[in-house]
Amino acid sequence: MPAIHVNQLRKTFTAKQKAAGLRGSLKSLVRPEQQTIEAVKGISFEMESGELLGLIGPNGAGKSTTIKILTGILYPTSGEARVLDLVPWQQRRQLAYQIGTVFGQRPQLWYHLPAIDTFALFGKIYELDDGEARKRIAFLSEAFEIEELLKTPVRKLSLGQRMRCEVAASLLHKPRLLLLDEPSIGLDVVAKQHIRDTIRRMNELEGVGVLLTSHDAGDIEALCKRVIVINHGEIVYQEKVSTLKRRFLTSKLVDVRYAEEINPDFTLDGTEIIKTGRYGVKLRFDSRQTPVESVISRLAEAGSLVDITISDPTLEEVIRKIYEESGT
Amino acid sequence: MKRELIFLFAVWKANLLSAMEYRAAFISQVAGMILNDAMYFLFWVIFFNKFEQVSGWQLPDMFLLFGIVAAGFGLGTSLFGNAMQLSDAVATGKLDYYLALPRPVLLHLLATRTNASGMGDVIYGVMSFFLAGQLTLDAFARFLLGTLFSMTIFISFLVLVQSLAFWMGHSQLLSNQATNAMITFAVYPITLFEGSARFILFTLIPAAFVGAIPAEFVRTFTWGGLAQLVGASVVMLSLAVFVFYRGLRRYESGSAIQIQL
Repeated sequence: MPAIHVNQLRKTFTAKQKAAGLRGSLKSLVRPEQQTIEAVKGISFEMESGELLGLIGPNGAGKSTTIKILTGILYPTSGEARVLDLVPWQQRRQLAYQIGTVFGQRPQLWYHLPAIDTFALFGKIYELDDGEARKRIAFLSEAFEIEELLKTPVRKLSLGQRMRCEVAASLLHKPRLLLLDEPSIGLDVVAKQHIRDTIRRMNELEGVGVLLTSHDAGDIEALCKRVIVINHGEIVYQEKVSTLKRRFLTSKLVDVRYAEEINPDFTLDGTEIIKTGRYGVKLRFDSRQTPVESVISRLAEAGSLVDITISDPTLEEVIRKIYEESGT
Repeated sequence: MKRELIFLFAVWKANLLSAMEYRAAFISQVAGMILNDAMYFLFWVIFFNKFEQVSGWQLPDMFLLFGIVAAGFGLGTSLFGNAMQLSDAVATGKLDYYLALPRPVLLHLLATRTNASGMGDVIYGVMSFFLAGQLTLDAFARFLLGTLFSMTIFISFLVLVQSLAFWMGHSQLLSNQATNAMITFAVYPITLFEGSARFILFTLIPAAFVGAIPAEFVRTFTWGGLAQLVGASVVMLSLAVFVFYRGLRRYESGSAIQIQL
């Protein structure tokens, strides 16, 4: 039995439309115009128990709407979905005992209280007995390295520290499935890595399945085995992450700044210069043909480095490539 | 039932801990509300100094009425403080938090906020009861029961009005006006109103069941009075739960960044 089974799932919203300014507002007051927005357009997919599945797409692609339907927060307009063999919007409470959720923009931890108080409250909400809850909190605080943070009011934690506590709280009741909506949003590189490592470890330790949405391809690359790319409410690609990497995450972007002015005709073998400025250059290279360390060492030889950023192509670029390959 | 009570006490405890994180603000809100209620009631004391009674109501009756309304309203906003913010929660997608957890959404939402000022209302309400002069154990027990009925009907009314947000989108202003109307009419002697105004106070804005009827029940026990309060509570509560859950099917969530206070 798959952990998640989704068949032809659709969700539409109606949104009021109005022209800008006072005139538009008055017109809308007299004759309001509604527009139907199809957030999810009949998607179908399955996820196995214990799988690490990524759902990626740009902002507004329909990722969050899908995850909200799968947690029972939203009713779909049509279609079927079963999560752990339960229909989320009909058996929401039964399902909530078996899944954990983290919404990057919707913290569960109480802002003015230390995280330990929210953990205690969640223990009561999930009906854990006090001894069991204490043991679980001790285990999670060690796994997530949050022992020192638990007694500090949440408002005083950094975003990365808070997110570690959020994910730990979502695992308090030993869920079989973890649904994470943009858990790394706004985090710096180190905090992102920490979160990813711990989620992977919990998957290995407890076999908890993970469905993760993100608009950061790096999350999926580091964490998931399989990926679904969603755009404008439709699935445009589903494959193993290794295949996605091989086919679409081949190039790296480098943004480098020097202490002194650089030659306007700056070039570097094996790279494509995208933009040259007075003190810096932006270039792209294929990491399968030109190793990253070779590019960095040659850039360092070219002058006194002040700053360097290496990034993957944006999701928009990946999706464009997918469309190009499929000829649509 | 026991499961839900354990859960409710845990939520109320977290509310109290959260409110007490800011000790000075907590104390000043409680004390400020006691003072506010006392200042408001001073008007009635001055009034009854000039006129001995209004449509058969005297100052001790007003103490009793105000005591019930203040205690019922205060207990409601202390234990179910989110009833005042329900429409905002619907419009801005704050129900996600409650829907993701395995508890009854409405009960969880209502209980997850304590207005410290409500505790001031409760304290003033009890003081007002004692000032009414009906100092028997029976009367006090009826006062506590009457307060519970008053609270149930008041909170149910708030849930009903604020649930309009599921259909109307943002309805906080309308909700505020309805709340103010309820409180205003509840603290006037019911004998002042006749005809259609009286009918409204027993139906559309059931202020009579929040103030006058429970106050009368405290003054004199009758089975009829008790039946009226039980009936009104059951009807209002059932209606509120039904409308909220019908509306919940229309809930559209949202993408606003939020924090759980």
